[in-house]
Amino acid sequence: MTLDTNTNAPAIHAEALTKIFSDPERGKVAAVQDLDLACNYGEVMGLLGPNGAGKTTTLRMLSTILAPTRGRGTVAGADITNDPITVRKRIGFLSGTTGLYPRLTAQEVLQYFGRLHGMDEDTLGRRLEVVVKAFDLKDFLLGRCESLSTGQKQRVSIARAVIHDPRVLILDEPTTGLDLLAASDMIRFVESRREEGRCVLFSTHILSEAERLCDRIAIVHAGRVLAVGTQEELREDTGEKWLEDVFRAFVARADNSPEQAADQPHANIVDGEPHK
Amino acid sequence: MRDKHHQDSGHEGPGTSLDPRTQLPGATLAMTQRLAATLQVTGKELRETLRDRQTAFTTLVLPICMYPVLFWIMAQGFLVLQGQKERTEVHVGVVNQGLLEEDLLRAMDQGPEPGPANRLVLVDLGFQDDVPPEDLLEATSGVGEPQGPPLAGVLSFGPDGAHLHVNRSEPKGELAESRVTKRLAQHVDQLREQAAEAGGHAASALQPLYLERVDVGPESDKGALLLATLLPMLLVTMCVMGAFFPAVDLSAGERERGTAETTLLLPVPRLWVLQGKVLAVASLAMIATTFNLLALGISAEGLLATILQGSNITINLPWQALLAVAPLALLFALFVAATLTATSGMARNFKEAQAMLGPVQMVFILPAIAGIMPGIDLTPGLALVPVLNVTLAAKSMLLGKVLPLEYALVAGSLLLSAWLALKFAVRLLSREAFATTSATISWRQLFSFLRSDGDASR
Repeated sequence: MTLDTNTNAPAIHAEALTKIFSDPERGKVAAVQDLDLACNYGEVMGLLGPNGAGKTTTLRMLSTILAPTRGRGTVAGADITNDPITVRKRIGFLSGTTGLYPRLTAQEVLQYFGRLHGMDEDTLGRRLEVVVKAFDLKDFLLGRCESLSTGQKQRVSIARAVIHDPRVLILDEPTTGLDLLAASDMIRFVESRREEGRCVLFSTHILSEAERLCDRIAIVHAGRVLAVGTQEELREDTGEKWLEDVFRAFVARADNSPEQAADQPHANIVDGEPHK
Repeated sequence: MRDKHHQDSGHEGPGTSLDPRTQLPGATLAMTQRLAATLQVTGKELRETLRDRQTAFTTLVLPICMYPVLFWIMAQGFLVLQGQKERTEVHVGVVNQGLLEEDLLRAMDQGPEPGPANRLVLVDLGFQDDVPPEDLLEATSGVGEPQGPPLAGVLSFGPDGAHLHVNRSEPKGELAESRVTKRLAQHVDQLREQAAEAGGHAASALQPLYLERVDVGPESDKGALLLATLLPMLLVTMCVMGAFFPAVDLSAGERERGTAETTLLLPVPRLWVLQGKVLAVASLAMIATTFNLLALGISAEGLLATILQGSNITINLPWQALLAVAPLALLFALFVAATLTATSGMARNFKEAQAMLGPVQMVFILPAIAGIMPGIDLTPGLALVPVLNVTLAAKSMLLGKVLPLEYALVAGSLLLSAWLALKFAVRLLSREAFATTSATISWRQLFSFLRSDGDASR
């Protein structure tokens, strides 16, 4: 199956996206600062960065869980600030923290999301058949989510994210906590979405995953995008062979820049009045 | 913004003008979609909450089992206490006992019901002209008698009649007063009858004025008064208790279970989701209240029959009045649900939410207790005071009073309170911290959030 999308407009577009949190201990903290990003249909883009780099906050802003402090973004043609509900209708979002309702069965979770996506019963029934087959949910479809194994929960979560057949998928460290088989299933799922012409934006700190899946990689560090490009472009830019070294080179370059050095040691704290 | 999301095709909903599929105007369709989404959320929350054993137990099972058991224990306790009271022996000292007539002494000693129950033991204190009777209460033995229990009263006779000194702060003091009064009155009646017989008169001729007290109030009205005093407070208490666990479960529970982010991803405005949640909590509160009232109604009859022995008071649940109270109770349940859901949303887990809701519960229950005080009735002014107003309205309805203006004001006040509480809940639960932090929300953060525009429309 391929998706009919307007390939001229990017599936995801972010411009100067910034998120500042008020932290009682550290004052105002910029988790993401002036982030620019564009991701197309039929493309898998990875946000690569260490823990605390701002990957999750970026994905949460793009999926409208969080409102940006400033900057703008569109996802699947809808503005994330002014039209968040349409964004949520058009995306599938999955992260380690999007838990399943434990006391509902897998089928009830899928039906709940399908109905709230405005699907009528016939459409929902057909769509349910598709995802049950695609993710092999038949054996535990009627089991309560609390009784499922981690791998089964992950499959139900993916089915929940795609029950409405979204054009854009946003995945936050989708393989974290999964065993080898489940992680491999997830990777195959992402590849299949690309083949269908959908856009997949995902975050990871696992380099091998990024190397295998990503058409382009955005290197994120301390709330900023340091570089975006294909793996070849990034290697060429740094002269490094391995992705790990590429990543280190960009981080070192950013840390040594005069602009960044001036802000050290708390580069992402703005207007910070530490809590006394 | 809300309109925009209806302008998309496919699963994203129709436009604000005439919808090509349903031929409904956009506004009507939007309202239908809003209602459908809200009910979807309510249905899901109800299903999920009732599958939680603790909530199902406290909402449905506990009232059914609790009241019969509780009332049986209360009835048994009452019977035990009553039996103990009857079997309690009371010692009353008598001053100058030797001067008293034989008949009087016999009447005092034996009493109207001879036997071990209601026993009054007279203790001869001898001649005590110089000692004040209250000091004699300290005595523990009479003249030539062995040491006994403390005296519950001291009885003395003089030219102006009999004097009984008791200490009413002591349980035995009251018993002494009651038994002595009863026996003396009976002795006086006997004396009157004897005097009348000797003079050839009717006994009534020696009592120029006899006061007969007649209670013309129907026994059912007395039952209604009793219910009107108790039920409104129980209604409020049961509603608050019924909303407690579901409110915690649907807000702090979501954070604890890690499903808050999932809920924020629902493709409908957060206001609708919150409406659905509050409606679910209010429904469970009403279900709990109804179950409680049913169980109470069924089991209270046995208890009252035990307590009101000898009385003809009949207790019938006034179903018509209760049905009239139901709409106000529903509005009150919405108010309670929104307030409790919002408050427990500030907590990061179930335990913390339970601690937070303790004081909030009292905010609801204390005005309800005030509402059952005698002399406080529903007025247009009091009809505007939330919680107190629903108690007073229920009280007046159960007494059969019809106060249309006041009831309308109560409904309006409750509706406004519920709406404000819902707005508060939406603001609180749609804030980013609900999904993104595991920290407790401080009061300072809460108020700074409420001052801002918040995130409710997202």
